Amino acid sequence: MCGEPKWVDYGDEESLAVAVVRRERKGMNSNTFLQISKISKTFPGVKALNNISLEVERGEIHALIGENGAGKSTLIKILSGVNQPDAGAEIYIEGKKIEVMTPLESLRRGIVVIYQDFSLFPNTSVAENIAITTDIENGTPILNWRRIRSSARAALARLGIDINIDTALGELSVAKQQLVAIARALTYDAKLLIMDEPTSALSKGEVELLFKVMRNLKESGISILFVSHKLDELFAISDRFSVLRDGKYLGTFGEDELDDDRLISLMVGRKIEYTVYPKRKCDDKVLEVRNFNKIGNFKDISFVVNRGEILGITGLVGAGRTEVLKAIYGINRQDSGHLFLEGKEITIGSAQDAVRHGIAYMPENRLREGLVLRKSMADNIAITVTDRLVDRVGLLDRGKLRDLVEEWIRKLNIKPAIADMLATKLSGGNQQRVVIAKWLALNPKILLVDEPTNGIDVGAKADIHKLLRDLAESGISIIMVSSELPEILAIADRVIVMRRGKISGEFDGATATQEEIMNKAILGVRQQAAS
Amino acid sequence: MIHVSTEKLIRRFKNKEAVLFLIFILLFALMSLISPGRFLTWRNLQSMAYQLPEFGIFAIAMMVVIVSGGINLSITFTAALASIVGGLVLSTLSAAGTPSAIVIIAGIATFLVVALACGALNGLVVASIGVTPMLATLGTMTLFEGVCLNITKGGAISGFPDAFLWFGGGTVLGVPFPLIVFILVVIATHYIMERSAFGLKAYMTGCNPTVTAYSGVNVKKILYGIYLFSGLLCALAGILMSSRYNSAKESYGSSYLMQGISAAVLGGTDIAGGYGKVAGTVIAVMILQVISTGLNIFGVNRYITNVIMGGILILVLALNLIGRGEKAIA
Amino acid sequence: MKLKLKQNREFGILAILIVVSTVIGLNSSAFFTVENLFDILKSNVVLGMLAIGMLLVILTGGIDVSVGSMIAAVTVVVGQFLVHVTGNVVLAILVGTAAGTFLGVINGILIAKMRIPPIVVTLGTMSIIIGLTLYITNGTWITGVPDNFINFGRLTIGSFYRQGDDMIGLPVQFLFLVFTAILTWFMLKFTLFGRGIYAIGGSRASAQRVGYNLDRITIFLYAYEGFIIGLAGVVHTSIMRQVDPNAFSGFEMQVIAAVVLGGASTLGGYGSVFGTILGVALFTVINNGLILMHIPTFWQKIVVGIVLITSIGFDVVQKRYWENHTTKVDIEEA
Repeated sequence: MCGEPKWVDYGDEESLAVAVVRRERKGMNSNTFLQISKISKTFPGVKALNNISLEVERGEIHALIGENGAGKSTLIKILSGVNQPDAGAEIYIEGKKIEVMTPLESLRRGIVVIYQDFSLFPNTSVAENIAITTDIENGTPILNWRRIRSSARAALARLGIDINIDTALGELSVAKQQLVAIARALTYDAKLLIMDEPTSALSKGEVELLFKVMRNLKESGISILFVSHKLDELFAISDRFSVLRDGKYLGTFGEDELDDDRLISLMVGRKIEYTVYPKRKCDDKVLEVRNFNKIGNFKDISFVVNRGEILGITGLVGAGRTEVLKAIYGINRQDSGHLFLEGKEITIGSAQDAVRHGIAYMPENRLREGLVLRKSMADNIAITVTDRLVDRVGLLDRGKLRDLVEEWIRKLNIKPAIADMLATKLSGGNQQRVVIAKWLALNPKILLVDEPTNGIDVGAKADIHKLLRDLAESGISIIMVSSELPEILAIADRVIVMRRGKISGEFDGATATQEEIMNKAILGVRQQAAS
Repeated sequence: MIHVSTEKLIRRFKNKEAVLFLIFILLFALMSLISPGRFLTWRNLQSMAYQLPEFGIFAIAMMVVIVSGGINLSITFTAALASIVGGLVLSTLSAAGTPSAIVIIAGIATFLVVALACGALNGLVVASIGVTPMLATLGTMTLFEGVCLNITKGGAISGFPDAFLWFGGGTVLGVPFPLIVFILVVIATHYIMERSAFGLKAYMTGCNPTVTAYSGVNVKKILYGIYLFSGLLCALAGILMSSRYNSAKESYGSSYLMQGISAAVLGGTDIAGGYGKVAGTVIAVMILQVISTGLNIFGVNRYITNVIMGGILILVLALNLIGRGEKAIA
Repeated sequence: MKLKLKQNREFGILAILIVVSTVIGLNSSAFFTVENLFDILKSNVVLGMLAIGMLLVILTGGIDVSVGSMIAAVTVVVGQFLVHVTGNVVLAILVGTAAGTFLGVINGILIAKMRIPPIVVTLGTMSIIIGLTLYITNGTWITGVPDNFINFGRLTIGSFYRQGDDMIGLPVQFLFLVFTAILTWFMLKFTLFGRGIYAIGGSRASAQRVGYNLDRITIFLYAYEGFIIGLAGVVHTSIMRQVDPNAFSGFEMQVIAAVVLGGASTLGGYGSVFGTILGVALFTVINNGLILMHIPTFWQKIVVGIVLITSIGFDVVQKRYWENHTTKVDIEEA
């Protein structure tokens, strides 16, 4: 089936990108802060980064663009010293070569990463959150609050924002907390600020404020590496853009060298190497979602799922897809909206309700939400169907249980075929199969799947695809959330695209193209940025 | 836990429980060797046979809660409260001249109802309100103690009908009644926890409540069930205890809290939840009982015995920690 | 959780304190006498000191149920020292604090190194400590405390009211409470140790990332608590003039209740010395009120239980309220 690597060359577009890169790479100059090349990172079974190069100038806001899984997070971890690149990597900071990048070294060189969870303390003041880092480093015996407060005030002033330094951090909005995190970075004497999805929890106005701060930082000579999937924002603030795709570096571009189409091509331009299954037109409506709304999650969500079809829901990370799925399943209840199962309106207030109605849910985070890792395959498969396995008194019929587990091991070809094997010892693909088994044992009408092949090696992915298609053929309706466009186009009969909490497009799985879908996912980026 | 093949069963038994049983045999032999005249006597064995059941039932009451991912610090005061209220019913009705059978039935029923109410309160605070079991049962424990003291004003309730003494001291075909109760409890708990759907759900909840909830299990109901069951066991322990002492006081059985945790953990119950076998807990109870009785016979000051028991808890926790590290690697 | 809310909480407790005091004062004329108030003060200095020590533990999100046994042990050690060695006050204090710190360090090391909930560890140490203590004393009291120590315990500062022919002042033990409060307040506010405690309580993972040495802070924390317990033990002995090793059975629950009543969150990260003192005051006023109004003191334990459950429940509900109000997705405006 598919044993080939994912990074298939796209031909022309690739060479175009390479050409652009060649033009860009003038070699190090005095304005370069960071230059890396030959960066690769191999994890067991997967090459997350393949020969990456990157160059960030002083006082530049540099965007790092790529789909989910393109390698952005891995690159950040390498730059901050958390992970080590494969041998042969070259990292230069301000012209000096760094042999080994450790977290301490990275910090000392002025690279500060601002993560999505900030690492701040909600119960202490803004001033303390910003400035106590110096004291911790120096081991100050007696704290001088006047120094701490003035240091905090100075940091905030450098950012050009006004926050009361005596308020408790927990009292501030997420946006302000983020600004505090940035202020703290300044006390570390940051020269390169790496921000990972900084705007995911911000409103439009708050994003504006953040950008103002970023421009202030830029003025003072600090570089910012801005990782985001929100392309309209990137275009509004960044000087240059570097594109990653499937672990490869496609080039660095200035603003005028990129338009929507080229950008989309770069991001998704690849042959679909999965088996593309013939799509079916199903019309027996089995589930209807009408006007689902949830503040801060999604708005005006309405769609239909037919019997035996695979409905793919895609979009950029953070578009609200998982939230919709969870709402249907009852674990993230919508504020308003109606749900119809086979024509009858139903209310699902909990996972139990959902299961009772024949709806199953395979979460995105298989390891934390899909399986009990420290328990056996058998326990995990049986937990959904205990009602069918008990005798009159409520005791489990061991014989029935054994038969059930062995039946599914056989049907889904789970390896190794040992029912008592702990789930944690199985490979990713087999773990996913156990999750599928546990739900199929229930004979569900509808299967909600979130990123079905996340973290699974290529060969196993194809098997899961076939499995899902077979399930659909047998009459189960599947709603599949996926960030992998090739996967969507391979198996989905219909596709819905979500963007910023709303549905932005609907396609026929047989005729849609990656570009069309991505277009709907990011919708008119340049125009957005301009407005 | 679900055993799918008998070979696996034997192999697993060869591990933890067998080791524990071995330790028990060794200790028993040791005690007998050191002081056969006093340890290996019929009287001593009988005494242990009468005392062990109440300890054992407490240990199991603790174990089931720990398995579900929590802890029940209120077991001893649940039993005490049940004993005091039940005792009041017993003594009042008895003094009023009610026929013995009715007194006993009413009394036992009171024990059960009070303890179940305590269990329900625990369930409410943990499952419905969502307080962590440690803090929740810390609070209920204090509350129950307070109510006990309020009723007894520090004294003891007595005046039980003679028939009641049979529970703690009587025999059936030569076997002490408490022991029979204990055996029944062990068997029942084994089936409930390790062989029923409820039990499977409880273990899974203890391991990962999120996944279990997502799998369509009503986790709240399971937790309520666990705390109610734990309360029920406390009622039984309370009946045996107050029958043995022929009185009820809030301080009776207070040492069983810590010893209960020790026994559960020593018996292989993971303090974090999700693992634990009744057999293991039972053997651990036997081990601790032998140690405690042995020390008593050798004239070791009872305070030192407490010290040793405390030390055993710490030791057992430390060993469990190391064991857990190995489990992750294995 | 709002810092402002917490400050409001403290003023709220002060308000409750005033209201409760007024109610009691109206019901019993004996309440608002200087004599009575000083009495309350003297008999609750120990609770106050232990509560301040316990505050540090609760700030990190833990609970120490061994305080009762620890102070019992300290009083025994101090008692034996006073009776058999010397009645020298300074030495007694040294011995007491040394004993307390030693016990605290043991707790600290066990808790820091064994990733087991502090409550379970301290359950074990509690048994060990009280077992040893009772063994050494065989449960009997220690009497025969030398006179100069007794006289020290009777010292008062200033003259506030007339009792017969004497002028009575503030009990000297009060100074110890003040000392403990000020020292702890200082440590919490002006040392990295103190800020580290708040950090651990606020976000343990962040504390680690930011560079606080968690193990060292934990061990020092329990050692410090032990130190205060040691001091409190000396103070207690100076009040009672004899040692009853059983005096503190179940005392830990009252200490925890007082701390929690003073606004500290059982989830960690929130609480202050001032709040704790208010909590202790409220707790003792309630108890005193119960006595003066001739309500059986057994209600005390029920009060403690209810206080604990309500406070803990409140903390949890508040936390969940905050969690439900965070935005997950930035929805595009129409």
